[in-house]
Amino acid sequence: MINTLAQIDRLASAGRTPWHRASALSKLLLAAGIVLLAVFAPSLRLLAGLYAAAWALALTARLPWRLTLVASGYPVAFTLLFVLARWDGTVEMPVLLLLRPLTASLAAVWLVGTTPYPDLFAPLSRLLPRSVGDGFFLTYRALFELMRRTSGLWRALRLRGGAGGPVRRRLTLAGGGLATIVLYGFERSERLYATMRLRGHSGRICGCRHFAEGSRADLLVAATGLIVLVGAALLWRMP
Amino acid sequence: MSHLHIPDGVLPVLFWASGLGLALLLLLLAARALRGASPQRLAYQGALGALVLAAMAVELPLGPLEYHLTLVGPVGVLLGPASIFHVVFVASAILALLGHGGLTVVGLNALVLGAGGVLARPVYVACLRPWRPPVAMAVATAVTQTVSGALWLAVMAAAMHVQAVGHHRVTLVAGVAFPLYLAGIVIESVVAFGVARFITRVRPDLLPGGAGPAGTRK
Repeated sequence: MINTLAQIDRLASAGRTPWHRASALSKLLLAAGIVLLAVFAPSLRLLAGLYAAAWALALTARLPWRLTLVASGYPVAFTLLFVLARWDGTVEMPVLLLLRPLTASLAAVWLVGTTPYPDLFAPLSRLLPRSVGDGFFLTYRALFELMRRTSGLWRALRLRGGAGGPVRRRLTLAGGGLATIVLYGFERSERLYATMRLRGHSGRICGCRHFAEGSRADLLVAATGLIVLVGAALLWRMP
Repeated sequence: MSHLHIPDGVLPVLFWASGLGLALLLLLLAARALRGASPQRLAYQGALGALVLAAMAVELPLGPLEYHLTLVGPVGVLLGPASIFHVVFVASAILALLGHGGLTVVGLNALVLGAGGVLARPVYVACLRPWRPPVAMAVATAVTQTVSGALWLAVMAAAMHVQAVGHHRVTLVAGVAFPLYLAGIVIESVVAFGVARFITRVRPDLLPGGAGPAGTRK
């Protein structure tokens, strides 16, 4: 998972397609529209259309198809529980149940794969309380560093025999290892606080303001949104 | 078990819409409680939020099974009720943006994880009288996991009831989910024991009841 996240994060900043140039706000609205349409879609044909549209978005954003497939496929395991519960013997029911979360997660992956995180969190931080908005930036900033440390810790535990022996011993050792990362997190927060004070922290971490700055690429997002809406209206009542 | 995030489109609208509304309300209340928190406290909260996400991403090999930890119990003890709700909301939202869990069900996922998380510190403090910190942490985590897992199962059962799923199908799903739920309680509690044992030896001031450094507590 760490590699998947790291690759998506890199693509969001390094990509040069029109989707990457479009404003975060317009892409957020388009992705939210696709997610809501997928959740409420009554017909299989509409869902298939939305799924195809989400794939078209991801591929034209030059997100690697394997990476996109892996990243957007996480909800499958959980959805299978619902398929197990609700399967009525037809093919349509499981496909319908699977396509809803897959379309939504694909739209989310496209959004995150084309939008650097400061632009992505900036509109959210304006809607949510200050401490929550700041929490998005601070958590994401720490995420990759702590993931790398956690991954290294697991490797070290395996190499030094921490993955062998009774399960209770293994789990207690894993807990001890994770506690070292808690301590690292605390020390890191002290360093970060000192840095923020040195840089004149004003009491709020503001995302950059250009998340809503329009460009020509936003016309493409708007046109895509229009096509998706018209297509959804046409396919809404089809089986 | 409890961090098996509910994806979009499988629950009735009433469930996720009311879950989102309630989560936003609790988020506002938690934000009020944290109004005077120092930037260092927020940075610490962010680091532990990232640790929750990192723990969820890494597989813990247990024979034929691979388990993904949540660490909501230990982090709930370290941060307290208001902060842990912030942390699980932010973690659920970031995961949903990465395609892991649903965007419409961020509120419900946060409520499921947060309901257990907010109990962690009060249970830990109550358990400190009879027991040592590692045992108190393990018990607090067991309570956290029990409540979150039970809520998760309740949401599943209620959703299936609303969608008129047959009783035998609900039993079948419960038969798959329940053993994982029990395993989750045991695994998280033993790991929490290890976390507290190490912190008690090295930095006991980080645990509630210890003498914390200025600026980190609220």
